[in-house]
Amino acid sequence: MSGAAHGGEGLHASLQSLRGEYEGVRELERKRRNDMPQAQVTMDVRRVEGNVSVIDVKGELTAFAEGVLMDAYNQASDGRVRAIVLNFEGLEYMNSSGIGLLVTLLIRVNREKQKLLTYGLSEHYRSIFQITRLDDAIGIHDSEEEAVRAANAA
Amino acid sequence: MTESIPPKDEKQPRDAAFWAQRVERLEVSDVPDGASNVNVHGRREVGALQGFGQLWQKTYRVRLAGVEVTPGETVRVWKERFPELQPQNSRFYPSMAGVAPGEVLFISATVGGMPVHTGVRVIYADDESFTVMTPEGHPESGWNTFSAHADEDGTTVAQIQSLARANDPIYEIGFRVVGATEQERLWMHVLKSLSANFGVNEPVSLEKTCVDPKVQWSQIRNVWHNAGARSMVYTMMAPLRWRRARSRR
Repeated sequence: MSGAAHGGEGLHASLQSLRGEYEGVRELERKRRNDMPQAQVTMDVRRVEGNVSVIDVKGELTAFAEGVLMDAYNQASDGRVRAIVLNFEGLEYMNSSGIGLLVTLLIRVNREKQKLLTYGLSEHYRSIFQITRLDDAIGIHDSEEEAVRAANAA
Repeated sequence: MTESIPPKDEKQPRDAAFWAQRVERLEVSDVPDGASNVNVHGRREVGALQGFGQLWQKTYRVRLAGVEVTPGETVRVWKERFPELQPQNSRFYPSMAGVAPGEVLFISATVGGMPVHTGVRVIYADDESFTVMTPEGHPESGWNTFSAHADEDGTTVAQIQSLARANDPIYEIGFRVVGATEQERLWMHVLKSLSANFGVNEPVSLEKTCVDPKVQWSQIRNVWHNAGARSMVYTMMAPLRWRRARSRR
């Protein structure tokens, strides 16, 4: 009886120890997941007058934004949409991978015979569009009204 | 050479110090020893939208498995030893400031036995990545980003991602015949050298996607700046330059 009790205690202790280790591993997993870079961006899609969709970009445009940007484009684009307008008023950070994403988006937009326009770029981000020569192919405007007007122009 | 954008006030975005300043044309005041400034000074930069050929995105990766090295440490070493990691037939000459926003890196390569003198400018550099952009005349029109990140199990992965197209029709033919394979070999060599620097011998993976299969006929005139052709003429004229310099003495 006492041997069985001792055996039970031993088993209990082992289980406790295993549980502790499991919790430790879970904690490490949680920490690592938090350390892993994730998309720090939201993109809301609005349909405005005519056949124009606006994507409101808020946060960081980096390689991690690829899924969010392409999802937003799919949502913004259907057979009737002639132009996609990116609203960069909420853009907080952009690296060179973010520029690469915009090139990929532009190629998709061109393939669908749509236009890609932007507004709300700060002086700093306008300068980056000039450095990378994205401004050769993506229309930059001061306001949403101006961008939508340009999108609706022939 | 240019400097990065200095933060003007607190409202500057966090990335402001990482980007190079805009220049209309590349300006070079100091040419490092051994480098040739034949096709760099006065050239405009060209991105993935300005070239002639098909647009390709190529991503090369190597896992630095079995060593404790952070992405930041990896990129720091990469920036410092960038020229040494290149193969024999592709020499990079950084300025004294090294790999920093706005700095020009000169390149002297040999392609099919012929010399090609050109360069690239660092347009973006932070602690875990840096990006170079090509000038007119360079075989490619676009960007190369060199970066490191931690993968799901915490291992640091070094990566090169290029988003570029051939700059003109001559280069496009060259890339389709043999150049693309040569170029892939070059970047694989760089990642192999980088990982060997940390004592790692892991395979390099390559993913490639043709982002835009169309060629851009509107850019056919880029051929005027072809650095390969200009380097060849420059090399052939060397005896003449030598004679002229001698007669001036």
